[in-house]
Amino acid sequence: MTEAAKPAPSLKSILTSLVGADVRVQLRNGRALLLSLALPVVLMYVLGIGRRGAIFPPNWRLAFAIGLGTSSIAILGYTMTVARDRETGVFQRLRVTPAPTWAIMGSRLAIQILSIVVMTAALMIAGAIVLNLTLSPGAYALTFVVAILGAGEFLGIGQAVVGLMKSYDTVNAIGRLVYVPLFALGMFGNVSIFGSTLETIARWSPGGALIGMLTGAMAPSTWSSDDWWSVLASLAYTLVFVAVGIRWFQWETR
Amino acid sequence: MASNGRRALEITDLRVTYGSKVAVDGVSFWINQGEIFGLLGPNGAGKTSTLSAIEGLVKPVSGSISVDGVDALAHGAEARARTGVQLQSTSFQKELTIRELVRLYSGLYGVSRSKTAADEHLSAVNLDEEAGKRFGELSGGQQKRLALLIATVHDPLLVLLDEPTAGLDPQARRQLWERIEHMRGAGRSILLTTHSMEEAQSVCDRVAIIDHGKIVSLDTPAGLIAKHRDDPEVKRVARGEVTLEDVFIGLTGSELRD
Repeated sequence: MTEAAKPAPSLKSILTSLVGADVRVQLRNGRALLLSLALPVVLMYVLGIGRRGAIFPPNWRLAFAIGLGTSSIAILGYTMTVARDRETGVFQRLRVTPAPTWAIMGSRLAIQILSIVVMTAALMIAGAIVLNLTLSPGAYALTFVVAILGAGEFLGIGQAVVGLMKSYDTVNAIGRLVYVPLFALGMFGNVSIFGSTLETIARWSPGGALIGMLTGAMAPSTWSSDDWWSVLASLAYTLVFVAVGIRWFQWETR
Repeated sequence: MASNGRRALEITDLRVTYGSKVAVDGVSFWINQGEIFGLLGPNGAGKTSTLSAIEGLVKPVSGSISVDGVDALAHGAEARARTGVQLQSTSFQKELTIRELVRLYSGLYGVSRSKTAADEHLSAVNLDEEAGKRFGELSGGQQKRLALLIATVHDPLLVLLDEPTAGLDPQARRQLWERIEHMRGAGRSILLTTHSMEEAQSVCDRVAIIDHGKIVSLDTPAGLIAKHRDDPEVKRVARGEVTLEDVFIGLTGSELRD
């Protein structure tokens, strides 16, 4: 018989449950995870074939692959899952429990960041095999730190998309639409054949800033002021998109 | 009814708006421990908005909500820890098995999330053999049973059920009524919304009829019939002996609602 009033559950119990469930959900979306790894590995190899190898040096190709995987997980993975769970009422069910809303979203974001770190490690191993590229321990550590910064940047973009768009279908369409210019544009930050204006825009686009940071992190001894500007640009993108994503995010589609 | 004077829920002068639309307009009622309370109303009358305010999903513009003496507006988490909720349309993460869902929600309510405890919960509602299935693989009746199990996994004093038997066949509906009555026997208080007058008359101790965001009448099902049997509009719609449905239509009108 219900008698004594129960206290609110501990934060530890709430976070353990949410993180455990979110890890399972992530692991069971194995196909999406595999795709976020497969395409970067293929491009990492293809961009080095023939004369392209001179335009795209190995460390740039690894940075590009990590950036591509990051944006895939953040925009095509996180954003779509949040939009779907909002539309189907999963969030509504979670919100009627004592779990604070920041814990519900924080757990999901933490799992995405963890996925990006794991993906970065896997691509580093692939880079060592495919590109014969090995880095110093310091460079590996710095690359991980920068990958986490990049995760923040692209998860912020994903949050902004899901904050500004309500329906799953719209988020799906817009997500795929912005994914290309936001990341792929960065590819041209290393190519001058389309003119210096496009090169500059590409260099400071979200994808360009991330690739810039990553290539810098892979050679810490050559870290330059440009790399610091990339860090600043990435932080600025993170702040702006996270602010937009939080300000306009709605837990329900009604 | 096993009331001992303890109030599971007390709502005073609740007002909920969506922009300029007033969904709930000065609603007040209370529910004693061990009482089944029905909230009846046509579509858009304010039933789900009232429930949403109690659940913490919408913030009322004024009024107070107290769950077992806890101010739900000031201490939302504490109030939600004392409340079990079954939403109108339940959705869970489609990647998780129902055992994993029970473990997740057990943890969110601070009760044991061990596999053994989850299996015991599932066994109690005859879902132990389905433990490895996903929610979408269950039948409609099984989904409702799981949703009710998850709503009560922490043995809350107050249980909110939003149209719990909608879409169920008669057997599954009767089974759910028995579960609801069993919960009352265990000292829980239940607030349910329903469109079924048969359900309200069969299981509710008291019923409030809500329309245009206001409670238009509140009493036991028999008390409502006795109170309104001579109302001209009720007499006009009655086909023979006055029923709760005649009272409901008499008080809320015959026109269709969205």
